Order: sequence, then structure tokens, then C-alpha cells
Amino acid sequence: MIPNQLALMRREVWEHRSLYVTPAVVGLIMVLTLLTAFVFASGYQEIVDIGIVGAQNLAGDTHRRAAVMAVLLGNTAPFLLAGAILTVFYSLDSLYAERKNKSILFWRSLPITDAETVISKLLTSLLVIPLIAFVVIVVTHLLILAMTGVFVSVKGGSSMFLIWKSAPLLDVWAGLLVITVMLPIWFSPFIGWFLFVSAWTKRSPLLTAFLPLMLVPTLEYWVLRTHLIWDAILSRFQQLPLLKGIDAEAFFDEKEFIASADAVSLIAHIDLGKFFTSPAMWAGVVVTGLFVTAAIYVRRYRDES
Amino acid sequence: MTSLVTARNVSKHYGPVRAVDNVSFDIEKGRIMGLFGPNGAGKTTLLKGLLGLTDCDGELSVLGLDPFRRRKELMRNICFIADVAVLPRWIKVTQLLDFIEATHPNFSRSHAEELLGKTKVRRDAKVRELSKGMVTQLHLSIITAIDARLLVLDEPTLGLDIIFRKEFYFNLLNDYFDGERTILITTHQVEEIENLLTDIMFINDGKLLLNTSMDSLPDIFVELATTGENADRARGLAPIYERDVFGKKVMTFEGVDREKLHGLGEAHTPSVADLFVAKVKGAAA
Repeated sequence: MIPNQLALMRREVWEHRSLYVTPAVVGLIMVLTLLTAFVFASGYQEIVDIGIVGAQNLAGDTHRRAAVMAVLLGNTAPFLLAGAILTVFYSLDSLYAERKNKSILFWRSLPITDAETVISKLLTSLLVIPLIAFVVIVVTHLLILAMTGVFVSVKGGSSMFLIWKSAPLLDVWAGLLVITVMLPIWFSPFIGWFLFVSAWTKRSPLLTAFLPLMLVPTLEYWVLRTHLIWDAILSRFQQLPLLKGIDAEAFFDEKEFIASADAVSLIAHIDLGKFFTSPAMWAGVVVTGLFVTAAIYVRRYRDES
Repeated sequence: MTSLVTARNVSKHYGPVRAVDNVSFDIEKGRIMGLFGPNGAGKTTLLKGLLGLTDCDGELSVLGLDPFRRRKELMRNICFIADVAVLPRWIKVTQLLDFIEATHPNFSRSHAEELLGKTKVRRDAKVRELSKGMVTQLHLSIITAIDARLLVLDEPTLGLDIIFRKEFYFNLLNDYFDGERTILITTHQVEEIENLLTDIMFINDGKLLLNTSMDSLPDIFVELATTGENADRARGLAPIYERDVFGKKVMTFEGVDREKLHGLGEAHTPSVADLFVAKVKGAAA
């Protein structure tokens, strides 16, 4: 089972090069954008000087830590967005392409069950895509900090003091690892639905997947005058039970940044206990299981002739 | 003899259409069975049933397993090449070998490499870069390197030129077949494989028309080329099919003693292709 899963997931990466090309391109774009920004900023020596002097003398450690952290997290958001889009397209394609290009019978001629195959596609969405994205995020963070360090040094600042000593790298990375792995689990009902559509639809998986997401809630409202399905979909996007609420007063009083060093931490804001005791999360896992089971069933019982 | 495949009253319906209709047969170990039928006769459906790709009614056992319910175990000991089961075009040859090595317990990587060494298939090429003939060579090399007990070939040489076709069957017999393994093959190019077969089955409209060994063909079937009065007398012996060839009447007889036909014309054993036409058209008449 496990050796098969590893081989199957490796197969997915071979087939879908976008799994690593997409985050790599996002990282490249961010690095190039930063580079452009530095070149541009070099034309305004005074402003850069004021910035560096200000950062060195005025702000405290916690301020610097918060500033670097904001940069790192800000640079992470595009990866999460790209990862989400990638997951949608990957999972919609994963069981559709093999039927369209007629290789499904070849794959089924090997001693691998349909369940193993479908689960490998689920695990690719839940683990492979996030882990590849995480590695690229870490590399991009290092590149961004290194480039900023060089820029600061060239402009007469201390990169060690301003950047490397201030960067809460381990905290940010540990937090991001948790987030990149937990986010797909939280959104897994959608992944399950996409896998099912991918296994089932005869044409246009994208349309087949998204139309019901709009039509079914509309129909529910017309017929029953309720909006339970719509609420369920919406709540996935509004109520992620993974982060502790941020108390703005702990960070700012009327005009000053007053957070303690401990508060400037990503890990400190993650609440795994809340995540794993969330009924909504577990309900989602059950829905995912149902869709994945349906996808396995369709792949196994469908007879194209 | 041990039966590798046992089918008893196997049927498969698609709505009102009976693709396979109450078929029973056995395939013994070490045989090369040819399965012939016109398009839409139910060949592919029957093969899918044997390979566990579709669920059939009746009793079907392949290597002692229910193929649909135990497909994974079955696939350790069965290989198949089907025109409809194409190799994925995006994959590289090395990746394909890596994948099968990782997932198939009976696959010998070194044997596959050795067989591929005799071809022009480049290891770093993607399947989409190979010609159709080379893809078939690749596929045959892979399944030859799998120590399987039953090989199912469904139109394996469709779309290949004559040189590749001849080479395919040459390699099949030399590299794959060792008397222990069993082959089930379907093709429209009957003439090209008839001398490799040990057994034949004909299927039409989902029903089995014939199931016999090649050795017993001469005892069952006679083809008689005759003219004039002899033709009328021969007709009295109830040929299953009659056709005109260059002014002569050519009749096919089933289960008629050759002695009775003696003196009525030239008698010989029909080719599989001619017999196939006689059985299919004769059954329709």
C-alpha cells in the first residue's frame, strides 16, 4: 500500500509538471519584482538612507521582528493563492485526463486498485502540492532576505542586525508548514467534489464542477426558501478554525506599536486544538470521504463501451 | 489439464443489448487461443470481463479468481495489450519502467532493458515521441518482462505495418511464449496468426459459434471445391456455407465425414479466415 502510494504520487508529479512549475514561477516573479524594486529604489538614496537609519536606531527589536515577519507573510500569500488554483485544476484533471487520453486501461492493467489510484490523487492534493509549495516558499524567503541583506549592506546598513537577527525564520516556517498542510484539509470537501467530478464527467470538468456550486444553492432557495448549502460553502471561506483571533489592542495602543516579542509569532496564533476539535472540520472530512468513495466507485464501475 | 480460464453461462447486458450472451468455455494452460468475431460481436466485452474491467453475470473464473472482484491480485498474473489501453503519451520510457518496477511484483527491470536494447526505443524519449510501432515494441517488452501466466492481446498490431506486425509475433513466440504461459489473442488479421494458434473461438452477436483446437479442425471441417452435378449432390450433405470462386462452388461442411465427399471435388481443410466467414454467414443464413 505505502510503496504503491509513493510510486503513484511520484507519477502524479511526472504527469503534472505544473505541481512544481507553478510555485517556482510565483517565486521567480516575486524575486524579480523585488530586484526591480531595489533598482528603482537606488535612485532615491536619501529616502533609503532615512529608512535604514530609522530601522537601525528608532525601532526596537520587536518592531524589526514584526516588520520582517510582515514581509515574509506578505510574500507567502501569492503562493497560497496559486496553490489553491493549482489544486482546483489538478484535482479536476486528475481522473479526467486518463480517460480522455485513453491511458486508463493501461493503468488499470497494473496490479493497483482503483481505491489506491484515487487516494493517491487525493494525497497529491492534500500533501504533495502543499509540501512542494512550502519548500518553494522557504527558498523564496531566503532569497528575498538575502537580496534585501545585500541591498541594505550596499547602502551602508547592517544586514546581520537588520535582517538576519530580526527574522523569526523558524517560527514563520513552522507556522507556515502547519498552515499549508491544514488548509487543504479544511478545504478538502471541495477537493473531494472535484475528484468526483473528474472521475464522473464526460466533458468540461471545470464547468461541471462549478455550475452545481451555484445552481444547487439557488434551487434550494427557490424551492425551500432556505440557504443551508450556500451557508455551508460560505462558512468554509469565513470560519477557518485554525487561527486564534488577533486582539488588535495587544499590538497597538492609540498610536504606538506595543506588542511584546512573544506576540510577534506565527506559531503563537495557530490553534491546532481548535482545528482538531472543530465539528465543521470533521464534517468536512466526512463529506470528502463520501466524494472520494464515489470517485473510486465511478472509476471502478464505469464501463465506457 | 488445468483450466486457467473457466466461463460458465457468462452474459453481459447493456440495456436490452446482449453484448455477451450465455457463453461457456475453458482455456487451458499453455495454449494460444485466438478469439475472432466481427466488429460489435462481443469480443471486447468478453475480454473486459476476463480482465475484471466489467462485471458480468454468470460464473467467470480467471486463474481461480473472480476477475471483477479481485482485479488487483489478478493483474499480478495477467498482462494485456489492447488497442484501447494506450500507454500515456506524456510519460518517459525510464519513468514508465520505474513506475512498473515499483508497483508490479513480477516485473523484471533487467529483462525489459535487455529486450528494449534490441529496439530503437530511446530510454529518455517520451512515449509521444515514439512511432506507433515503437510504442508497441515498448509495450511488448514490458509485458514480456512481467512473469505473468496469462497474456491477453486485443488487436495488438492494429495500425502497424507488416514488418512490425511480423516482428511482433516473432518476438511474442520467441521471448514471451514458453509453453507455461498462456495467450488469448483477438485480431482481424486472422491469416497472420493462424499458424501460431493452438485453439480458436468464434463469437458473433454475443454467442459462441465455435470453440475448438486447431488440431481437430481437419476432423470437423472440410471445404469442398466443386461444380455442376457434384455441387448438387454435395449440397445434399448440408454445407453450412457456400460461395462462388472463379466459377466453382466452394462449400464448407461441418461434421461431415470426408469419405462421403470423396469424388465430389477437391476437399481440404478450410483456412481459419474462410471458416470464420462460413460460420458467421452460415449462422446468419
